Amino acid sequence: MPTEARRVLKRVVACGLVTLAVSHFCVAADAPQTDKLKRLSLEELGNVEVTSVSKEPEEIWQTPAAVYVLTHDDIRRSGALTLPDLLRTVPGVEVAELEGNIWAVGIRGFNSPYSKDVLVLIDGRSVYTPLFEGVYWDAQDVLLDDIDRIEIIRGPGGSIWGANAVNGVINIITRHAKDTQGTLASGFSGYVDRFNGSVRKGLHSGDDFQYRLFAKGFVREDEQNPHYGAYDKWHLAHGGFRADWTPTPRDAVTAEADAYTGKSGQQVSYASYAPLAQLVVNDTFTISGGDVVLDWQHRYSGGSDFHGKAYFDRTNRQGMEFGETRSTVDLDFIDHLTMLPRQDFIWGAGVRLSPGNVIQNQASVDFEPHSQTDHVYSAFLQDAFRLLPQSLTLTLGSKFENNNYTGFEIEPNARLLWNPLPHAALWAAMSRAVRTPGRLDRDLQLTDVDVVSPPVLVRVQGDPTFKSEVMVAVEAGYRQLLFPKIYADIAAFRNDYENLESYGARTVSFITTPVSAEVLTIPYANGIKGTTDGLEIAPDWKPTSWWELKGNFSHVHIGVRPMPGYNDTTTVASYQGSSPHRTATLQSLLNLPHGGEFDFDYRFVSRLPAQNVERYQTMDSHASWLLGKSLRLSVSGRNLLEPHHHEFAGDNNLPTGIRRSVYGGITLTR
Amino acid sequence: MRALLQPEPAIPLWTRRAITCCGLLLLSCLSPLCQSQDKAAFTPYDVEAAYLYNFGKFIQWPSTTDANSPPFSICILGQDNLGNKLDDIVAGETIQGRRIVASHVSSVEAADQCQIVFIGRSEDARLGKDLEVLGKKPVLTVSSVPGFLERGGIIQFVIQNNKVRFAVNLPAARQAGLALSSELLKVAVSVTTNPPQEDKQ
Repeated sequence: MPTEARRVLKRVVACGLVTLAVSHFCVAADAPQTDKLKRLSLEELGNVEVTSVSKEPEEIWQTPAAVYVLTHDDIRRSGALTLPDLLRTVPGVEVAELEGNIWAVGIRGFNSPYSKDVLVLIDGRSVYTPLFEGVYWDAQDVLLDDIDRIEIIRGPGGSIWGANAVNGVINIITRHAKDTQGTLASGFSGYVDRFNGSVRKGLHSGDDFQYRLFAKGFVREDEQNPHYGAYDKWHLAHGGFRADWTPTPRDAVTAEADAYTGKSGQQVSYASYAPLAQLVVNDTFTISGGDVVLDWQHRYSGGSDFHGKAYFDRTNRQGMEFGETRSTVDLDFIDHLTMLPRQDFIWGAGVRLSPGNVIQNQASVDFEPHSQTDHVYSAFLQDAFRLLPQSLTLTLGSKFENNNYTGFEIEPNARLLWNPLPHAALWAAMSRAVRTPGRLDRDLQLTDVDVVSPPVLVRVQGDPTFKSEVMVAVEAGYRQLLFPKIYADIAAFRNDYENLESYGARTVSFITTPVSAEVLTIPYANGIKGTTDGLEIAPDWKPTSWWELKGNFSHVHIGVRPMPGYNDTTTVASYQGSSPHRTATLQSLLNLPHGGEFDFDYRFVSRLPAQNVERYQTMDSHASWLLGKSLRLSVSGRNLLEPHHHEFAGDNNLPTGIRRSVYGGITLTR
Repeated sequence: MRALLQPEPAIPLWTRRAITCCGLLLLSCLSPLCQSQDKAAFTPYDVEAAYLYNFGKFIQWPSTTDANSPPFSICILGQDNLGNKLDDIVAGETIQGRRIVASHVSSVEAADQCQIVFIGRSEDARLGKDLEVLGKKPVLTVSSVPGFLERGGIIQFVIQNNKVRFAVNLPAARQAGLALSSELLKVAVSVTTNPPQEDKQ
């Protein structure tokens, strides 16, 4: 472990001990309360209203990784309408909106549009695309009230989730159909978010079969694009169902399906050969898709369980530059065995086949071959050894994968967890994770016109031998619940990267078709290495039953350099200057009488020199009232502190202004 | 561009932040937190702890032959938020003339001297094993882990409309040699009377 990390760890331990000592003073004040409770009869106890105070699930004490959970209530009270906006208050997560429908969502550095180092799953279905190596956030939509929780794992998750879970994993988990019985109708309308409406009906047949049907649609207006006019409108229609069946107390079967269609406006720039020109056009992507997920869990009597999952996913994206259709079939199972003394053994295997077809719309943008089937065959083993019963656990595990780009990949990890107290956990981990290449790194040929006369073209060329980016991470963290009122979570990490994507040596050549021109070819290469180190602190304080304060402070330092034989300082500067070195948020959640809520959050993001973005601070707010039993009215405002601000430039050198938005909403549940 | 490539001095910043963190947490704990708590704010753990204390009054254990009358022991196996609450509830209390002690036990083997064992959520994976050992002893097993009764537990807490209730597995109680009073069964949301069907792996 590097000395910096060790020093930080010492502080962390000291910090935990100090707060623990103080917390003993708080117990005494509690006593009169519980005293009353124990005088109640069994019947009276059954009528005491309870509130859920600690949002942290019990598993958090058994998790030797940096995890954060957004609960159903957190999601509703954030007032956010899009998935990336929900993630803005999560420690270690960098969310930047490039345009009205493009987001960069990074974890612990290396932020980029489409988030290539972060694996995103919706009910276990990967939404990471092998074409663009990332997530098309404009095609990801969930009825937000259907979300049970979002679990965000900072740091590598490769040993469980496999390739591309390098800097983190975002797990979106929807609610059981029994929790969404009845009718829901909601509508939001305002400035920027013009309309966002959902209807849902939850039904059941007997006690062991529940299902829900939903439909959702939204229209989002343009952000502030002063130099190019308005082009980033976004709208989507989405519908589907989820059914849960419990045939026996030991079995749970879930079937889900949904389909969506929409349009997302984006500005694209591409070369035209006749006449020779570099065009900048306002394009509208047509996006559609759907998926079917089947999931079966069986619990054996001895505490062991089995979990099998199968899904089919179809995506379709058509734009002026190119289009892509892709179908993915994925089969997975995990078997969890508890018969060995003091051990918890999990193993699993999976196969994923993903045929994709690129539709070439411009001669200057191509992926060769157009059709290709990607595959991943994987196996995974993990054993947790209880070195000391209840308090010290060592977990060793690895994923073994075979993919069509780089062949065999191994992603092992070792994690140590110590529970000095029932609600305190100190953990440390060392892991290896990989980002496997996709079609972009290997097969892209993108030609731009640099000079029209005499013609000079610049061509970005995929590298057919592009290797996996490799990361080795050392992490440690401490979390403690200081009675139900204060929860603190601290994590520190140092990640070492090799073979990061960069540009290789340029070559100059002359071509005669399709135009006579000088061509400057810039290939992709695995030419950068380096380290990131950082720290996240996330305290949660509930001073009274009606007020909660949550904060987080995240720091990341990125130090990368060209590997021997390479000299791409531009990409080095981009890696170092595209993630905020410091972010901080403070959230206040206030419960008012008669079901009222008033919440706000303040966010600070430090500057991104490589994206022409200055540091900014802003505020979101959400207020709602309950009318009767079934009607809730709400008003939400986002980015309230300024008319608009910049978050990320991306390919355009001029970042889009992300506007202040205000919207009102009405939600009916019965 | 050169300035960008200069690594920042990371350690002093971390150190400063770590100290700030300690300071903030310390301050926040010394502030009004310790004095005030809202009247209506019971958590499920408060109520569950109160139930655990109450159950003792409605259950007959096989009579102990120990003349010294050892303390009545409520044990927590595994980890659960309830553990913190129980200490306050049982402090200075007695059941059937016996002093109550609440304790954490580290393994199921250490739990056989307990009259009531509350099994925390962290034990979910080992539940089958735990219950196999405890099920044959005169021990009241209680948990809020889903599916607890199907796996052979005796009392399971369930939350209904923001209220903590409990369900009872009567055959499992009989197997443990415990006699549950009718008052307890009357208040339970459900009482299982058929032995659970087993399947083996």
